[in-house]
Amino acid sequence: MNQNPNSAPHLDEITLLLYVERQLDRQAAQEVSLHTQTCERCLNLLRVLDRESRLLTRSMLEDDEPLPARIAEFQAKVKRSMQWLWGVIFAMALLGVYSLYSFVVEPWQMRLEQAGFGGTNLLSILVFQGAFWKGWQSMYTLVEFVALACSAGFAFFLGRRYLKRGTALALLFASMGFSLLAPVPSSAQGVKVDVDMKNRESLEIPKDQTISKDVYFAGSQLRVDGTVDGDVYAFAQDADISGHVTGDVICFARSLRVSGQVDGNVRAFTNNITLTGTVNKSVLTMNEDARIESSANIGHNLTSFTQILAVDGKIGRDILSMFQEATLAGTVAGNVRARGASLTITSTAQIDGTASFEGEKPAIVASGAKLASPLQYKVLEHKSHREYGFGYFIWRLVWAGAWVLFGLVLISLMPGFAKETIRSAEMYGAPIGLGVLVLPGVAIAALFACITIVGLFVGISTFLLWLVTLFSSFVVVGSVVGRWILGKTDEFWPTIGRMALGVAIVVVASDAPKVGWLITLGIWVWGMGAVAIALYRRLQPIIAPKIPSMPGGPIGTPLPPNTTVAPA
Amino acid sequence: MEPLRPGHLSVPGKTEPTDLIAQARAGDTQAWGDLYREYAPAIFRFCRRALPSKEDAEDATMEIFMKLRDKLVQYDPSRSFSAWLYKVAANHCWDVLRRRRARHDKDMEDVDQLPLETPEPNQLERLIEERSGEEVRKALDKLGARARMALVMRYYSDMSYDEIADAIGVRRPFVGVVLLRARHELRQALGENTSLAAGGTR
Repeated sequence: MNQNPNSAPHLDEITLLLYVERQLDRQAAQEVSLHTQTCERCLNLLRVLDRESRLLTRSMLEDDEPLPARIAEFQAKVKRSMQWLWGVIFAMALLGVYSLYSFVVEPWQMRLEQAGFGGTNLLSILVFQGAFWKGWQSMYTLVEFVALACSAGFAFFLGRRYLKRGTALALLFASMGFSLLAPVPSSAQGVKVDVDMKNRESLEIPKDQTISKDVYFAGSQLRVDGTVDGDVYAFAQDADISGHVTGDVICFARSLRVSGQVDGNVRAFTNNITLTGTVNKSVLTMNEDARIESSANIGHNLTSFTQILAVDGKIGRDILSMFQEATLAGTVAGNVRARGASLTITSTAQIDGTASFEGEKPAIVASGAKLASPLQYKVLEHKSHREYGFGYFIWRLVWAGAWVLFGLVLISLMPGFAKETIRSAEMYGAPIGLGVLVLPGVAIAALFACITIVGLFVGISTFLLWLVTLFSSFVVVGSVVGRWILGKTDEFWPTIGRMALGVAIVVVASDAPKVGWLITLGIWVWGMGAVAIALYRRLQPIIAPKIPSMPGGPIGTPLPPNTTVAPA
Repeated sequence: MEPLRPGHLSVPGKTEPTDLIAQARAGDTQAWGDLYREYAPAIFRFCRRALPSKEDAEDATMEIFMKLRDKLVQYDPSRSFSAWLYKVAANHCWDVLRRRRARHDKDMEDVDQLPLETPEPNQLERLIEERSGEEVRKALDKLGARARMALVMRYYSDMSYDEIADAIGVRRPFVGVVLLRARHELRQALGENTSLAAGGTR
C-alpha cells in the first residue's frame, strides 16, 4: 500500500468508489472525508472516480438510437404465429430436398450412368474420371465436406443478424422450398429459350442438316454428321463429331471421336478420345486414353492429363501433358512440356520449339526424330506422394485453404468457445492425454451406438461430431503454433492471422517425409483433446457466478457495507 | 460530492403514469399499447446497452414486454413501476447472456483472479476526458457479461446494490467489487489503443 507524505496509507480504490456511490456507512464515510482533506492523491482519485461515474451515466443515457420500426408497436401475436410457420418451413424444406433429388439429381445420375459414368457422386464423376486422378475420390469427398460445411457456416455467419428475424428467414426458406417445388423438367430443359435441348437415347444430326443453335445433349449416342452453328455440350456414352461444329465441343462421355471439323475448342472429360479431324483452337483432355491420329490437326495447344497419350497428328502450338505413358510421332510447331512415367519420341516426330520431359526414366528418342533443340530431361523426384504427382501439392494447398476457411468460420461463429479451446490446447499435457483416449474412444463409442440399441441416430451424430472435431484439430493446433510465433492476442483478425500461419505450418509439417503421419496423428490427438476439454468445461452447470478473491491484494478482499479504513 | 443519480426513466424526474398502469392492469389493450410506447424506448436502450447486438436488443424488448403483460397482475402498485420494469428487463437480459454462456468468455478468465492496480488519477482523468459517450458504449461490447450488466444496471437504470446483487446472483457486499472490476475492464477497453490503459501505482 502506498504511503502519503504524512505516512498515512492511501485509501483503496474500492473504498473511494463505495464512497462515491454512497454505499459506506456514516462512520466510514466520515473517515474517507477526513482522509481526503489531507491526502491530495486520494482526493484526486475520488474526483476522477466521480467523473467516471458521470461519464458512464451520460454515455448510458444518451439517446443514440430511436426505437426500431419493427418494435414500434407491441405485437403480442408474433411469437405464436411463428410456431406453425416453422412447421411449414420445415415441411417445405423437406419437400424441396425431395424434389431436388427426384427431378434433378436422379435423372442426371441415370443419364450419366447410361453414359458410362456409373457410381459415386455427380461432381466426382465429372472431374475425377481420368485415370491420372484415380485414388483421389476419398480426398475429394473430404474436400467437398469441408467446402459444404464452410459454405453453410458462411451462410449462417452472413445471415445471422437476420436469423433472429423470423419473418425474413421464413420467407427465405419458404421461397427456397417453393422454387424447388416448382415443376423442374427432367434434365436441363428450358434453361434458355433458344437452346435446342435434345433429350433422348440417341441423337443424330444428318449430313445435310444445319442447326443454328447450341446443342445440349444428354443420352446414350450422339452423332454429328451435319453442321452445328454453335457449341455442342454432350453428356453421352459415345459421341462422334464427323460433321462441322463452329463453336466449342464440351463433352463428358465414355468415348469421344472427332473426325470432322471443330472451329473452336474441344474440352473432353472422357474415358477415351480419338481425334482424326481438325480442331482450329485448343484441345483440353482429361481421360484415360487420348489418341491424336496422323490425320488430326490441332490449331492451337494440346493440354492433356491422361494415362496413355499418343500424338501422331499436327499440333499448331504447344503441348502440355501429364501422363503415365506417351508416344509422340507427329509434328509440334511449338514447345513440348511433358511429365510422366515414360515418353517415346519416334522417328517421324518433329518438334519446332523446345522440349522438356520430367519422368521416372529418360525418354526414348528415335534417331530420325527432328528436334529443334535437345530434349531436356529431369528425373522425377521420388517424393512420398509421387504417385499423385503435382496434383497432390495443389490439393495440399487447397486443404490448407479449406482449413483456414473452416477455422475462420469456427472462430467467427464461436469466438468464446474457440478461445477456450485454444487455451485448453496450450495446457499441452492434459489435452494430449485426453486426446489419446478421445480419438479412438469416441469413434468406437459411435460404432458401438450404431450397432446396439442406443441407436443409429445417436451413433451417426456422435461420429459426425467426432469428424468435425478431427477437422478442427488442425485449426486448434495451428492457432497454438501461430501464437507461439506471433504472440498471444484476443482480437479477432490477429487471431485469424495467427491461425492461418499456424495451419500453413502444421499442414506442411504433417506432410513431412516418414514422420508426416506421426505429426498428423499428434495434431489429431492434441486438437481433439483440447476440444474435449473445452466442451467438458462448457457443459459444466453454472451454479453461481464466481466471486473474485484476492487475498492480500489492496482491493481484493470484498468490503462489506460497513467497511472502515483502518490506518496502517 | 454528489454523484449523478439518473432517474429510472429515460426522462429523469418524470412521474409515472399511474392511471395508465391501472387501466392496463385491468386489461385495457389501448392502455397497454400506450404504456408500451411510453416505456419501450427506455427498455430498448437498456437492452441495447446490455446485449451484444441490435437484433438481440429488439427481440429482448419484445420478449420483456410479453413477460410484463403476463405478469402485470402481479405488479404491486405501491412500488415504482419503472423499478419493477427494469428488474424484469435485467433478469431477462441476464438470462439471455447466461443461456449463451457468454459469461464464460470473459468472466472465466484468469485475469479475474488477479489483484487490480489502483489507477494513477491523472492518467485516468486523461482517459475519461478523451473518451466520448459513443466510445464508452462501443467499449461495452468488449466487456464480460457480468461486468456489462452491472454497469448498465447501475448507471443506466440506477438500480440499487441490492437489486444488482439479486439480478446477477452475487452477494450484496460484492457488488462494489463487481462494479470496480467492470470499470477496470472498461478502462482497459477504452485505452487499448493508447498508453492510457488503466494502471499505475499499486
